[in-house]
Amino acid sequence: MTRTTPALATLLAATTLLSAPAALAEITLGAVIPLSGSNATPGEDQRRGIEIAVKEINAAGGVLGEPLKVIVEDSAGKPQTAIDAARKLVTVDEVPLVIGSYSSGITLPMGEYLVQEGIPHLNPASTSGLVRNIGDSSFSMVGLDNVSTEFAAKEVIANGWKNVAVLAVNNAFGQGVAQEFQKHLEAMGGGVKTSVLFTGGQPSYRRELQQLEATDPDAYVFTAYGTDAALIMQESFELGLQEDAPWYSILITMMNKDTAPEFKQGLSGMDVGYLGAGGEGYAATYEADYGETFLSAYGGYAHDAVLFAAKAIEKAGSTDKQALLTAIRALGDEGFTGATGEIKLDANGQRMSQPYLKFKVEGNDLVQMD
Amino acid sequence: MIQFLIDTIIRALDLALIAVALSGVYSLIKFPNVALVQYAVVGAFVGMLLQQAGLPLVLALPVSAIFVGLVAVIFNVLLFERLLTEGSAIALIGSLALSMILSAVFLLAFGPAAYRFDLAVAPAMRVLGARITVHQLSTLAITVAALGGFAAILFFTRLGREMRATATNKVLASASGIDTRRVINATVFLSGVLAALGGMTLAMRGSVSIDLGTQMLLPVFAAAILGGLGNALGAIAGALVISAAETFVTNTNFGVLTGTDFLFLPASYAQTASFALLVGFLLLRPSGLFTSEVSRV
Repeated sequence: MTRTTPALATLLAATTLLSAPAALAEITLGAVIPLSGSNATPGEDQRRGIEIAVKEINAAGGVLGEPLKVIVEDSAGKPQTAIDAARKLVTVDEVPLVIGSYSSGITLPMGEYLVQEGIPHLNPASTSGLVRNIGDSSFSMVGLDNVSTEFAAKEVIANGWKNVAVLAVNNAFGQGVAQEFQKHLEAMGGGVKTSVLFTGGQPSYRRELQQLEATDPDAYVFTAYGTDAALIMQESFELGLQEDAPWYSILITMMNKDTAPEFKQGLSGMDVGYLGAGGEGYAATYEADYGETFLSAYGGYAHDAVLFAAKAIEKAGSTDKQALLTAIRALGDEGFTGATGEIKLDANGQRMSQPYLKFKVEGNDLVQMD
Repeated sequence: MIQFLIDTIIRALDLALIAVALSGVYSLIKFPNVALVQYAVVGAFVGMLLQQAGLPLVLALPVSAIFVGLVAVIFNVLLFERLLTEGSAIALIGSLALSMILSAVFLLAFGPAAYRFDLAVAPAMRVLGARITVHQLSTLAITVAALGGFAAILFFTRLGREMRATATNKVLASASGIDTRRVINATVFLSGVLAALGGMTLAMRGSVSIDLGTQMLLPVFAAAILGGLGNALGAIAGALVISAAETFVTNTNFGVLTGTDFLFLPASYAQTASFALLVGFLLLRPSGLFTSEVSRV
């Protein structure tokens, strides 16, 4: 004990000395997003959104007069990797705020870790209702599934599909969507014949698809991530399920880019809106910088999370956690306009309203409907 | 009913090749090589890489299978021959470790995403009301050919006779002039080939990700044990029994039990069926469905 204490003290002093000048030079935020794995495509979109936001802020003079930097870490689509990445951001980089992640199954455990550490957390993408319960210092830049499934249920009823079969990924996000969707659909006079939850990353989803088909539904309503959805669409095509009844995707931009065009003919769906009023500038910068249109709907929300965080730090006058939390709540109350429209937070720190879009697939691309 | 039979056969295809490989090697070296399920994943990934490099599938499949066979021999010589001198339990744990290392290598090399062969996909054909896809038929043909070839080697060639002799009594086989080390390595090579074909046919019907090996471990072991570990062809029967149980669990509508129209058990419960069967067999008939001349460790 007596021998280790001085050594420890020296180490502590050394690390404090090393990290102190770095913290003064710039304002550093952290982000944990899926740069690899099934969700690498929307993850890249998020990274681009963050990159554009940082450029915008620094071009306008930075935050509190200092340049802004966002350290982006890979979640690899795995909860443990995401928590490790968040821990690294908090303990090594000592960031005052962490943005992340993409899927709810990962945002939840990561957010809980951040709440324990007292670090403010901004959720830029996850829509499970469980996100509401992460904790006091966790805030969502995106509307949760109670808002999104109501929109989807209205669409399904409007298409004349009364009895549907639901397929959702078996995690916090998928369970939430399946439950909330069923609740809204039944309230509107429709019904769910069966709800199948599948485990992601399987070599085949034939069994799940055959279970759905046995109920002879008017339509198949599903929500699945990138490459899982690609395989589901391929196998449903192979099994002839797409001939029997139409397919409808909740949060369709999660899966569209990964699915080959021949397996998604006639597919329609909904997703969170890419942009709100005033988001045209972001779209123009994005296309100029990356030479293509948005990879998913989620880049804009990651972009807004960075702007929101920067504005809150500006308001707090420092990166002190308590001051920052107070500033985030105040900013959420008065409202903040980003690329995805006005962001106002409710008492639980969740976004109150947001734009949604209807899509249908044409060839390989999504076409927006009225 | 027809659909049930077809689903059972297709699922048995998933398991049979790897289970036969597992059982075949067990008969000679008396330890179940856990890493075989990872050899299957290696086979699928190498096959895909070869196809991406421009090799037609008919060439990519055998080249990858032979490659994995050689890899299996290399691991056997470098690792398992040495571990086996310490006992079969040590070798089993060694194979588990190798399996984990391979899994980590896949994660580094390929990431967690799922991959597919570049194959044309056509809607399923209807046969007596049940659905069969082209790739189910082509992989059925590959599997039957591979298993038939293995059985032919086992029963009609000099190598097969030596393999059976070594399996029954290694010391006696050695004393009568059989080079048992060569026979064992030949069998290990064949097991690698079969496992790789198993992985590639699986990938041809769906997709392959780094978790495939871990997902296959339990049902493959259950099939091999049911068939009587060491009884290579018994593993085929074991695979059919396991897949029938799994298909029953996932294809049956249990709605009548709860008074609802439809109630299906989640497909991930299929593994429970193989596990329950495995436990039942180990309790009641530990030597498997058939009596085997191979004594179990």
